Amino acid sequence: MTPLFEGMRILEFGGGAAGPIATRYFADHGATVIRVESRRRPDFLRILRLTPTTPGGVDGSAHFAVLNPNKLSIALDLSRPEGVALARRLAIAADAVAENFAPGAMARWGLDYESLVRERPDLVMISTCLNGQTGPDRAYPGFGGQGSALAGFNHLTGWPDREPVGPFGTITDSLSPRFAALLLAAALLHRRRTGAGQHIDLAQVEAGIVCLSESLLTYTANGEILTRMGNRSRHAVPHGVFRCADEDGRDRWAAIAVHDDEDWRRLAGALGRPAWTLEPVLATVDGRRRHEDEIEARLTEWTATRTAADVAAHLQAAGLDAAPVEDFGDLHDDPQLAHRRHFRTVEHDVLGTHPVETHAIRFSAMEPRIERPAPRLGADTDVVLRELLGIEAAELDRLRAAGVLE
Amino acid sequence: MTQSDGDLSGIRVLDLAAEPGFFAGKVLGDLGADVVKVEPPEGDRARRRGPFWGGVVDAERSLLWLALNTSKRGMTLALDRPRGRELFLALAERADVVLETEAPGSLAARGLGWETLHARNRRAILCSITPFGQTGPRAAWRGSDLTVVATSGNLYATGDPDRAPVRCSLPVSYYHGGLEAAVGVLFALLARDQSGEGQHVDVSLQAAMVMPSIGTAAMFRMTGQRGSRVGAFMHAGRTIQREIWPCRDGFVSFALRGGPARVPGLIAMVAYMDEHGMASARLKAIDWKSYNHNLLTQEDVDFLTREFGAFFATKTTAELYRAACERSLMLAPVNTPREITGSPQLAARGFFVDVENPGRGTLRYPGAFAVTHGARVAIRRPAPRLGEHTAEVLHAHGLAAADVERLRAEGVV
Repeated sequence: MTPLFEGMRILEFGGGAAGPIATRYFADHGATVIRVESRRRPDFLRILRLTPTTPGGVDGSAHFAVLNPNKLSIALDLSRPEGVALARRLAIAADAVAENFAPGAMARWGLDYESLVRERPDLVMISTCLNGQTGPDRAYPGFGGQGSALAGFNHLTGWPDREPVGPFGTITDSLSPRFAALLLAAALLHRRRTGAGQHIDLAQVEAGIVCLSESLLTYTANGEILTRMGNRSRHAVPHGVFRCADEDGRDRWAAIAVHDDEDWRRLAGALGRPAWTLEPVLATVDGRRRHEDEIEARLTEWTATRTAADVAAHLQAAGLDAAPVEDFGDLHDDPQLAHRRHFRTVEHDVLGTHPVETHAIRFSAMEPRIERPAPRLGADTDVVLRELLGIEAAELDRLRAAGVLE
Repeated sequence: MTQSDGDLSGIRVLDLAAEPGFFAGKVLGDLGADVVKVEPPEGDRARRRGPFWGGVVDAERSLLWLALNTSKRGMTLALDRPRGRELFLALAERADVVLETEAPGSLAARGLGWETLHARNRRAILCSITPFGQTGPRAAWRGSDLTVVATSGNLYATGDPDRAPVRCSLPVSYYHGGLEAAVGVLFALLARDQSGEGQHVDVSLQAAMVMPSIGTAAMFRMTGQRGSRVGAFMHAGRTIQREIWPCRDGFVSFALRGGPARVPGLIAMVAYMDEHGMASARLKAIDWKSYNHNLLTQEDVDFLTREFGAFFATKTTAELYRAACERSLMLAPVNTPREITGSPQLAARGFFVDVENPGRGTLRYPGAFAVTHGARVAIRRPAPRLGEHTAEVLHAHGLAAADVERLRAEGVV
C-alpha cells in the first residue's frame, strides 16, 4: 500500500528535539522531510555531547541519530543571499514548513510566513518556540528544561518535603512535537478541503499549561495550588512505587495503584489476607489515607522479598493495577513493546546498527516505516537541489565553491 | 468565546472516553470538531472526583471534569442496555470518529467493537486509548498513569537517588497519549480521503511515554545508560550538574549544559552577577570560547554551582526571571499557577479566557494551545452538564420529543 504521505515534502528549519520529533510522524508515513542545516551552526543535538574525540564529529551524535531517521539533510549557508534564495525556493515548493528557531530568525532571512506566503498563498507553516511569536517575552531564549519549569511541570514533580525534580526528559520538548504534528495534520486536512493555508504559532509553554488545565483551574476556581505529592494520589490509596528484590546489583521497584475499595479487597486477597489488611478502618479510602504510611511500610515488607516481575504478575493476576518499573535497558526486553515493534533498527554510517523509536499509534491499515538512518550533515544537498529545483551539476559545483553549499 | 470555524469543522466525534482520553477529545474539539461526550446515565466517574469548584461536592463542579471536557457537547446513553447500544450504533453511522478508553475487547463484547462499527459505517474511525494497546502479552493488564509511566523508562529516571522513582502528580501520560490519539485520528482522516475507509487507531499509553525521555531509550544500545535518579540534577558529560536551583523564595531552572547554545546565557549570567559584586575573579577568568560542559570535571562543576547558587540565593524568582528575559540568561522560575496566571507574556497574548459555566459562574481557563490566524484553535464551549445535549443530539438524529421522553423513562438516556 502507498504510504499516506508519499510525495509530500516538509521543509524543516531548526533543531533540538521539539521540532524534529514533530516531523517524524510524517516521515514515518512516507513524507520527504528535508532538514535545512548549517555546518557553521550545527543542530543543537549534533553538538550537545560533542568533544574533540567524538567519532564522526557532527555525524556521530547518537542523540541526533535516534530522533532524526527517515529524513534528508541539506547544508546551506543562510548568511549568504544565494543560500537564502535556495531555502526560499525549497520552502515555496514544499507542502509544509516547520521551524523552531527563536522568533525573528526566519524574518531576518526573509523566510518567515509573511514573506513566503506572497509567493505561496496556500502555505502551511508552523513556528514553535518557548513563549510564542508575539508578546514582550517572545525573544526569551531557553531550553526544554526552562519550558517545563515555566509551564508548571517541575513544581508538580517530586516529594513534598524536597525540592522539585524532573520529570526526566524536559517534558515541553516531548509534548510540543505532538501538538505540532496534530496542528500540521489539521492544517493539511483543512487546506485539502478549502485550499487555504495558515501559519501556526505554537508556544511550548502555553501548550504545556493547557495540559495542566486541572491544576490551573484548581487555582483560578479555588485559589488552591496543587503541589507535588511523591507517588501518592488524591483519589487512590495505596498508590506508590515499592522496593522489590535487587537484581544484578540494580535497584528494582514495582508500581501499585489501588483505585477503590474493591481493589483494596483484591489486594488483601492477593497478599493472603494477613490480619493487618482486614482492619475495618482500611476498608475505605478515607481510612486508608489516615494510615497510608503504615500501609506503604507493610506493602514494602511484602514486595522487598520478591522480584518486581513477580509482584506485577501476581497482582495483575488478582485483577490489580501493578507493573514493574522498567529502566531504559529493560524497555528493549519488554514483551509488549516488542509485540508492537516499538523499536526498529537502522544502519548508520558512524554509529553502526542502532534502534530508533516509532510513534505510539498503530493503525489497522497503515504501518509506520523507518527506511533510512538519520542523515549526515548535508548528505542530501546535491540530490535535493537537483531533483527538487532542477539545479545542474555545474551550478552545484559553483555554489559549493562559493561556500553557499556547506 | 470565539465561534470561528476550526480546521476540523464538520468532523463528528462520539467520545466514550474516560479520564485517560479526556484530553484527546478536548484537543479535537478545540480544533473545531463536533465532539459529543457520551456518558452513562449516572455520569462519568470524574464528575464525582475532587477538587470541586468552591468545595461544593456536585457532579457539575468537578474541576477535573470542567478542565478537560471543554469544547464538547454531552449526552447520556446506557450502553449496558440493548436499546442504548442500538442507539449508539445508529449515531455512529453518522460519525466520523469514535473515541474510547475501555479495556481491549470490552466494546466488542457488547457488540460495539471495531468489526461491528466498520460494518455499519465504512468511513468511521475508531480510536482506542489503552494502557498497553489492543493486542500483545500485556494487552489485558490493568494500567493507569502510574503504571504506564513505570513501564516507560521515564519513572525510573525521575526522582531522588535515595527514594523511589517518582511521577508527576498530574497524569502526564494521559496528555501525551491523548495527543498521540488525536494525531492518529488526523492521520486516519487524511488516509480516509484516499481510501474511503476508516481505520482502527490503537494508542498505547506505555508506548506514548517512551518518547518523552527524548531518545534516551533508543540510545541505551549505544550508551549502555539504563538511567538513574539524580534529583534536581542531570548527568552531563562526566559529571552531575544541577538543573533546579533554590533561590530566595523558590526555585529556578538553569543549567551549565546545553552545548554552545548555552554559552551566551552563562556569559550574560556572569556579567549580571558581576554587577552585583558577586562574580569571583576565578569565575570572571573563565574562557567561555573554549567552554565545553562535556569536558568539565566534577570540581569545575562544583565550583560553578557554588558561585551561581550563592547568587541565586540572594534573588527572588521574579527578579531572576525578569533579568533572564532582559538579558537572555536562559533561566526560568519553577512556576506554580500563581505565577502563570500573573504572567505579562501570557496576558499580552490573550492566553487566558473566561468561560461562562451556566448556573455556576465564570471560570478562568488556559485558552488556545496554539495561535493561528482567525483563532482557529479555541475553547468553543464549556464542559457539558450531565445529559445537557441529549435531546438536541437525538432530535438532530430524527427522534421526536416523545421518543426522547420514552427513552428517558426507560432509563436509556
